[in-house]
Amino acid sequence: MDLMKSIAIAASGLRAQSGRMQVISENIANADSTAQAAGGDPYRRQVATFQSAMDNALGARVVKLGPVRTDPSDFQVKNEPGHPAADANGNVHYPNVNPLIEMTDMRDAQRSYSANLNVINATRTMIQRTLDILKS
Amino acid sequence: MPTPSIAAGAYANVARLTDPAAGLAKGAGEGAGGTSFGDMLKNVLSSVAEQGRKSDAQTQAMLGGKADMIDVVTAVSETEVAVQTMVAVRDKVIEAYQNIMSMPI
Repeated sequence: MDLMKSIAIAASGLRAQSGRMQVISENIANADSTAQAAGGDPYRRQVATFQSAMDNALGARVVKLGPVRTDPSDFQVKNEPGHPAADANGNVHYPNVNPLIEMTDMRDAQRSYSANLNVINATRTMIQRTLDILKS
Repeated sequence: MPTPSIAAGAYANVARLTDPAAGLAKGAGEGAGGTSFGDMLKNVLSSVAEQGRKSDAQTQAMLGGKADMIDVVTAVSETEVAVQTMVAVRDKVIEAYQNIMSMPI
């Protein structure tokens, strides 16, 4: 049934957004993860990508989480000579994670998730209303 | 969400329903030369039972930490629609049968 198909497509959106949420939570959790050795690179921010994929069993285009890429922007540099990861000049590289950007991404993921849930709810209502004809 | 024990009872009931339907198919299908109502009912019942089994398996896998909650939600809602459709059709058929039986001759 087409209505069950749209529920399955919306479910793929839910799955993709929850995967994105996982990447965002990794970024936020690792916002202070510095290198283990002196002068090394800290955690690099990750970015989730989405791609449209044909689901042959379903016969519709669903959304899938693409490869998780790294953000090539520069690391934050703080002068902390006492830090174990500080280089010869006393500078420590901190991850290129900006909490404000992560918060915005998180809100975006949350809204997209809700939108897909609304699609599922609306489809369920349509199915129920159609069944009501059979019941009355 | 159906707990496994309740669901197991429900499937046993559905499976029991399938057997009389097989008998019904034999009786009603004779000489009709097409898909009898009994056959149709049997097919619908077995597909509903199959879907119920799938959604129950998903629920158990989720409780075991192996399946996604989203898969459980879609499987359970698919079963819900299938069962509701089956029940609505059954009610309609029984209503039609009772209408015929109460017809004054």
